[in-house]
Amino acid sequence: MQVFVQTLVNGVTTGMLYALIALGYTMVYGVLKLLNFAHGDVYMIGAYIGYFVLHWFGGPTALSAPVPLVLLVMFALAAGGCGALGVAMERFAYRPLRDAPRIAPLITALGISFLLENTVLLLFGGFTRSYQTPSFLPFSSGLHIGALRIDIVQGMIIVLGVLMMLGLRWLVNHTVLGKSMRAVASDREAAEMLGIDVNRTIALTFFIGSAMAGVAGVMSGLAFNQISNTIGFLAGLKAFTAAVVGGIGSLPGAMIGGLFIGLCESFTSSYISSQYTDLIVFGILIVTMLVRPTGIFGAPTLQKV
Amino acid sequence: MARLGVDEWVARSGERRERQSGWRGRIDQARARVGWWPRLALVVGLGLVFGQIAANVNVQTVAINSLIYALLAMGLNIAVGWAGLLDLGYIAFFGFGAYGYALFSSNALGSGGAGGAHLPAIESIPIVLVAAGAVGVVIGLIALRLSGDYLAIVTLFVGQAFVEVVNNIDPGTLGGVNGLYGLDPVHSFGVSITTPKGLYYLVLAIVAILAVVLHLLDTSRTGRAWRALQDDPLAASAMTIPVNKLKVMAFSFSATVGALAGTLFAAEQNNVFPTNFTANILILIYACLVLGGVGSIAGAILGGIVVTVGEQMLSSPTDAGYLFYGLILLTLLVRVRPWRYLGLLIAGTIVFGLAVRAIVSAVSASAVAGAPGSSGWIGSLVSHWVIVPAHPATYGNILFVTLICALIAIIRLQGTRRLLAVVPTIFAAACCWESRLIVNPAITTQIMIGAILILTMAARPQGLLGAHRVELL
Amino acid sequence: MRPRFILIAVALLALIAAGCGSSSSSSSSASASASAGSGGAKKCTTSIAIEGPFTGPVAQIGLEQLHFAQLAVAMDNAANATNVTLAQDDTQLTPALATQKTQAIIGSGAVAVVGPAGSQEVNAVGPLFGRAGIAFISGSATLPALAASGKNPTFFRVVPDDSVQGPQDANYIISHLKPKAVLLIDDAEAYSQGLANAMTPILQKAGIKVNRQTYNGTDTGATLANALSSLVTSQLNPSETVTVLPWQTAANAQQFGLDVQQQRKKTILFGTDGTNSPSQFKIPGTYVSNFGPDISSSSSALDKSLVSGVAKYGPYGAFGVPTYAAADVLMKAISSVCKAGQTPSRSNVLAAVKKTNIPASANPLGVPVSFQSNGNLTGSPGYLFKITGAGKYIPVPNK
Repeated sequence: MQVFVQTLVNGVTTGMLYALIALGYTMVYGVLKLLNFAHGDVYMIGAYIGYFVLHWFGGPTALSAPVPLVLLVMFALAAGGCGALGVAMERFAYRPLRDAPRIAPLITALGISFLLENTVLLLFGGFTRSYQTPSFLPFSSGLHIGALRIDIVQGMIIVLGVLMMLGLRWLVNHTVLGKSMRAVASDREAAEMLGIDVNRTIALTFFIGSAMAGVAGVMSGLAFNQISNTIGFLAGLKAFTAAVVGGIGSLPGAMIGGLFIGLCESFTSSYISSQYTDLIVFGILIVTMLVRPTGIFGAPTLQKV
Repeated sequence: MARLGVDEWVARSGERRERQSGWRGRIDQARARVGWWPRLALVVGLGLVFGQIAANVNVQTVAINSLIYALLAMGLNIAVGWAGLLDLGYIAFFGFGAYGYALFSSNALGSGGAGGAHLPAIESIPIVLVAAGAVGVVIGLIALRLSGDYLAIVTLFVGQAFVEVVNNIDPGTLGGVNGLYGLDPVHSFGVSITTPKGLYYLVLAIVAILAVVLHLLDTSRTGRAWRALQDDPLAASAMTIPVNKLKVMAFSFSATVGALAGTLFAAEQNNVFPTNFTANILILIYACLVLGGVGSIAGAILGGIVVTVGEQMLSSPTDAGYLFYGLILLTLLVRVRPWRYLGLLIAGTIVFGLAVRAIVSAVSASAVAGAPGSSGWIGSLVSHWVIVPAHPATYGNILFVTLICALIAIIRLQGTRRLLAVVPTIFAAACCWESRLIVNPAITTQIMIGAILILTMAARPQGLLGAHRVELL
Repeated sequence: MRPRFILIAVALLALIAAGCGSSSSSSSSASASASAGSGGAKKCTTSIAIEGPFTGPVAQIGLEQLHFAQLAVAMDNAANATNVTLAQDDTQLTPALATQKTQAIIGSGAVAVVGPAGSQEVNAVGPLFGRAGIAFISGSATLPALAASGKNPTFFRVVPDDSVQGPQDANYIISHLKPKAVLLIDDAEAYSQGLANAMTPILQKAGIKVNRQTYNGTDTGATLANALSSLVTSQLNPSETVTVLPWQTAANAQQFGLDVQQQRKKTILFGTDGTNSPSQFKIPGTYVSNFGPDISSSSSALDKSLVSGVAKYGPYGAFGVPTYAAADVLMKAISSVCKAGQTPSRSNVLAAVKKTNIPASANPLGVPVSFQSNGNLTGSPGYLFKITGAGKYIPVPNK
């Protein structure tokens, strides 16, 4: 029983983190049909911004301000910084390619990924850094009921994940910006003719998506012991998988996809085999995709003739 | 550019007009008159001449690697460029071919480290290719249900799963993380190719034959059907084109070519390891294909050569320095007109650097105490121009960030202001290069690969030899 | 049409330049050896190369090695009045890249090589270096088979192989920690599996139940955390009072230790040299075995100068120390060749490396350096540390 509960908690935490990254991914995809492979690296930058803010406040063991305030500043600056990075990426790398063949921005995204990853390596070195979260958010604080043990960071990930998904849904469905996003997504040129500022809408989409990656980066720094310049690649891959499995372009889909992968991973390694986890999870995902070829939440697209 | 009411003929009218005038137009016309076959003969001839003059083993190895990447890009082009299937699991076929060759050419299939198959290449390579084609059919059948990015993700799993399989399953036979090594060289009929030069000619011959086969395929009914499939699968199926069969065929052909490259790669390396077939290599193959031009055989070959040679150059600090300064000069040459502006700009940059250096050295002697990182004539040329402090690490980092900001500013600025902003930017770039970037050549290589990918795509999204496609609304 | 022409021009220029570059590097090698010959013993000018993972997922350990090699070259150049330059060749721990870089090194003027880091890379490049007669000294490739049967005739290593370190650690666990069962997790890398394979039979022979598990060491972030956390949840049984972590990333071991604490389980962690990092792995009560003493808190003059000297190149990391020893061996070999009035050619340097005899006091690993005919170290250094409550590494006797 305890193993089951703990495995569940592990899976949900991991899955929510995948989902946090996947939300931004799927948003950009939904509007631009662009696979932004550099999204994972934006997340990595977010984790580094959080780290430097933490040390600006005196470091994990000697914080000079109350913990909630420090956390707030970490999240805010990471979101702002990554958002700005996202806008810059869109403006200077993706915008010139908006009408190019679909594979060209894919290569640009890989180029940006190389650039960001190695710029961080050049500037900050290759060694892994740690937020050392237990020294300011101890394991003892959190929810402990019987076998269920959710510490405070895990709780934060879960709550934040759900809140951000709901917030984004509200944004897309009930605001003017959301309306213009949907318009741009369905037909960019028609939206332009209707007086929607396409460039601004796309830039804002990038800002929001990248800001969410920044938040996810800080969250992962808090939850897991290590950040390094290479954490972005795998995270981006998992987020891409989560977004596609959930049905790419769908916000609840990204969340469900992330949870699905996280749970698959933790239950496979707890109950079946830690050696073959990746293989088994790939197998599950391939079968899922074959049963639902457009993802769990994806609607079959109507083909225009 | 998708424009309403514009078709390809109209869109290309400007191009045709340009073609008819000037020396460049004349060259272009002459080039267009040369058919496909003479061009292939020319390229192969150049390859043969190169093989004769390249005496250095390192140059020969780079040449073999270029051709292997060209093969890989040609194979990927079948699925991605012609049939329009975004196949992110292509690397698995490359690995499959390499491991297939390794199993048949080593002790791996024997018992207890002795014996083994040791088949001649004329037997082992066809077996591996047929098997790879069959695996391609299976994956193609799976892929039929999926399209677009959903196909991409499933094939990505296939690629990742390959590495996991060879890492974990049966380490006794496949070698696990320690791989298989000590493979036989390519040998058949008592002839064994042991020198890099011999292997180079073999790979060159295979590339040439494959180029012919693929050209014939491209211009055949199947090739045209693939392009129809890529442009619009729905319309294609309405025209009674067998969409499903074509997709499976594309996967299978592409898998076979990938595996062929794999067998040659294993023979060249003399060993196989799981980490040789990771996503990084897949990225490189995609870079070859896209830089060369998606859909073009010549583009795939050129892409393979440019990427391999470029990577090789970038990893040597001296060559990377030539490339760095060369690219700056070239950009100026191309972008700055008229000529007197160019002269002014270069003179201005030199004077600016000398002036700033004089001021800085007057303020603090240790701020210019460091030596530039470049050696050779570049180093001695710039040593009294750039500013390199005694402890350059932090200074270089700040300069690097400033440089990126300055580049963004230059893109935003217009006219004379842009010209004025270029002067300090070039100086900053040189200082940053000499004090920081060249000190860590490995990291700089990766940064430059990223930057070159982005810039090439921005300058020419369809690749070097790719055709500009007009997307119809 | 213009950009097209320009790009093709760039491509052609690149090709031509590459051709010139490679030919110039071979000619420069000739001139380098010529000048060294004519200069005699006065100024000993040549170049060596280092192969290691300086970018990519394990850049941390590669850069630690690089910085210590740079330090060794700088210190020995100053001490012996030589002028040896160090070329950097990034392999990303990938055999194919290592092969490519090795061909480039063979075509260049380098007379000897530090590295490569991984055993699988040595497997790939060993025969190439052997054919070219270039000595290469690794500071971290520990697979026993590398030194066997003359396959890699010019291979040397300044660290003991797994057949030394593995049994040492296993015997310590058996005689001092006395567990009934052991959880042994490898990270699916060659380094880790080698050690795990060496330890498992010895533990089993002593009647200890070994629970052998694997996780993917190249994972990062949430994926890695999930894998480690699940291992703690489902695999760490109360009877397993010792958990052995022969991993190459210290931060992963720290994450594992935190998971153990968080899930309120009890086990003694036992790490190996890959996890030896006082700044990153500091779970109290843990044992960490290593080839050398912890020089960061040593009082010897050499160790102090190393720790302060390496700061110029990058942060101190214990994993790089053996690479200092490797580069030091090469530098001293080159200097001895020059002092004997000979040209520092590949064959001369190789012969000098074979005759290496560096006293323990000049080696930060604390043992005399001399090589057996198969390239293995003659002595077998082994140190063991216990991590205190304050995160300090305290040496404990390892017998």
